[in-house]
Formats: sequence, structure tokens, C-alpha cells
Amino acid sequence: MTSFVYELLMAGLIALKEYIALHVLTCLIPAFLLAGAMVTFVSRETIIYYLGAAANKVRSFALASGGSFFVAACSCTVIPVSSGLYYAGAGVGVAFIVLWVAPATNILAIVYTGTLLGSKMVITRIITALLMAFIVGFVMNYAFRKEEVRRVSFYSLKKGVNVIGKKEALLLFLLALTLLLPNYLVAKSPYSRKVLVWAIGMTITFLYALKAIDRERIRRWFDETWWFVRMIFPLLLLGVFIVGIIGKVLPSSFVQKYLGGASVFSSWFATVIGQLMYFATMTEAPFVHKMLELGMGKGPSIALLLTGPGMSLPNILAIIKVFGLKKGLVYVFLIMCLGTFAGWFAGNYIF
Amino acid sequence: MRKIEILGMGCAKCMELEARVKRALEELGIEAEVNKVSDVKVFPSYGVFMTPGLVIDGEVKSAGRVPSFEEIKEWLK
Repeated sequence: MTSFVYELLMAGLIALKEYIALHVLTCLIPAFLLAGAMVTFVSRETIIYYLGAAANKVRSFALASGGSFFVAACSCTVIPVSSGLYYAGAGVGVAFIVLWVAPATNILAIVYTGTLLGSKMVITRIITALLMAFIVGFVMNYAFRKEEVRRVSFYSLKKGVNVIGKKEALLLFLLALTLLLPNYLVAKSPYSRKVLVWAIGMTITFLYALKAIDRERIRRWFDETWWFVRMIFPLLLLGVFIVGIIGKVLPSSFVQKYLGGASVFSSWFATVIGQLMYFATMTEAPFVHKMLELGMGKGPSIALLLTGPGMSLPNILAIIKVFGLKKGLVYVFLIMCLGTFAGWFAGNYIF
Repeated sequence: MRKIEILGMGCAKCMELEARVKRALEELGIEAEVNKVSDVKVFPSYGVFMTPGLVIDGEVKSAGRVPSFEEIKEWLK
């Protein structure tokens, strides 16, 4: 009995080493800094203004899908934004696009998915999330078209400043490079070279920041980064530890039977697990990595990567509370169908 | 008496904002009525889309971030 407990603890610790320790320097630190910089330097008020004001449907959908990426970095902040847009008069489609895209393709999760699972997986994740967003937008608009007419017009919103200044945009670009170069371009070289590339990127980024950005805003940037670390990192540690233990106790015959291959059933099953289970942002990547090792198919993996962070039982309840039972259920059912289809399609035609 | 509203759904940042506001009020010795507004449906009527939002005497002072302690004190003076 004690040796079994010991083995479980070891499995958890090994997962922590494999998924966290090895990635702290080159992936997690720059990813958190980038997320913090996006929150500080990108004017989210301006993005939201454009989202609310865009009348033309295709344009507002495209804006909502692209803009959400910068608006929120985890599902916790997205409900106020989405419901705010809705109750301020934006189309129901736009509101639900924001609700879906922001957590499903947030910057932290995307970066981490790419590092652990490779670029093909992460590109498929981004593209399917965006396609799903457009369909969600159209279906929600169509299903609730009668209510739309009765809705109030947009509240007075401040237009504010530019979305981002030139200096700040360059800083974001440098940070993105620091993040991408060690993890993707020199991914196959030894760890020491990755660290070297990382160190050079970091140095250039910080020297530039000190020169171009005033101290007050640099302080704000670090504050926001620290918030992300404080909120997400403990959950990530716990999540990865649990992933290690699951990898130890879950029989791979079970995974192969219910989540293996690229059948409709395994994609559906992966989608439902993702929809109901709560995955703290980023934890879905090591979870899927572990499940792939145990025999899950790549198609179902995509379904799980999308619905894992995009939805959870507490999240569903909050959505129903804010948007009403009917819209909540239509949305949940729609994501279930789309997630299943995306997984099945990716498994059969992409991988 | 000053009227302060804190807009948020109970997230970590909202609680931090509330703590800072209370500390600032205490330090400045100001009496104020502090209300927590958690109904997201009314956020847009304030013009607040990002939580937490801080509204002092009906005016939105900050949204989407936790202002520093010094900033809050400045606004309350």
C-alpha cells in the first residue's frame, strides 16, 4: 500500500519535472510576460468599442474572433466581457464568439500547447477554434434572431485611443520572438542552446523596454504578469501533478478503447470530457500529452484541447445564469456537435 | 458621504481591489459607503466591460485592472 502511494507521488513529481521544470525558463516566463504585456499595452476598451459598434456581420465576427485573442487570457475574465457586450447591445453571435474564442485560443494555452505537442497540433487547434467561432456566431444569431430586434441600441462607449502604440507593438513583437525562437525554431537543438537563444532575446527585449517605455507602465506590465503567475501557476502545478497520477492509474486499454483512433464516438467522448471537466488554463496541454501516450487518437485530442479550456461545468452554469437557460443550452449543444465534428474531421483528414 | 462601487463577479482581482479601497479609506480617515456590484447585466450601464471596475461618486475611475494603492488614495482625496 505504502509503495503504491509512493509510486503515485513519484508519478506526479515526474510529471512536474517533465511539464513544468523543463519549460519554466524558455516557455513559461516569456509566455506570462507576453500575456501581461498584452493586458497592459493593448487597449482592450478600444477593441471592445469596435466589437460593439461593428454592424456588418462578417466584419464583426472576424473582429470578435481576432480581438478576443487580446481581450482575455483565461475563461475567468471572459464572461463579464461577453455579457457586457451582449447587454450593451452587441449581437448575440458576437457575444458568444468572444465567449468561445478567448478561452479556447488564449495566448498562454496556445504557447504551451505548441511547446508540448508540436506546431501541427497547435495550428490545427487555432484554425478549428476560429472556424467553430464563426459557426457559433451564425447559429446563435439565427436561433435568436427574433429577440435581436427587440434589443436596445449600443450604450455610449468611449472610443478611446489606438489599439496599441508603435513602441508597445514592437515590444510585444520582441517578446513573441523570444518565446517562439527557443521553442520552435531551435526546438531540436540541445537545451543549452535554447537557453542561450532565450537569454539573448530576453536581454534585447528588456533593454528595449527600458529605453522606449516609461517606468510607470513597465511597473504596470510586471504587476499584470505577476497576477497571471499568481492566479494560474498554482493551478498549473496542481493540474500537472494530477495528470501524472492519472497517467499512472488510468489503464491504457481504457483510453485506447474509448478515446483511441478517429471514430465519431471517441471524438464525442473527448468533447464531453472537455466540456464538463474544469481545466485551468494551460493544464489541458499536459493532460492531452499524457492521454496521447496512453493511446488517445489525435482527432479526439483536438476536441479535448478545444473544449477543455473553452468550457467546464461551472462555466456552463455561469453562462446559463447570465444569458438564460435557452441560449446556454443551445450553445453547449452546439459546441458538443462542433467539437465532435472537429475531432472526427481532424483525426481522419489532417493527421 | 462618498459613494464607492466595486464592479466584479468575485474574482481574485475584485477582492484585491476591495481590500485596497478599504485600506485607503482607513488610512485617509474617510467615511464612505462601499457597495459591491456583482450583477454583470448592469456593468455596461456604467460603461464597464473589463472587471474589476471602480466607480467613485458615479464616475468610473478604472476598469480591467487593479489600480495601485497610491492611485486609489489620490482618487479618494
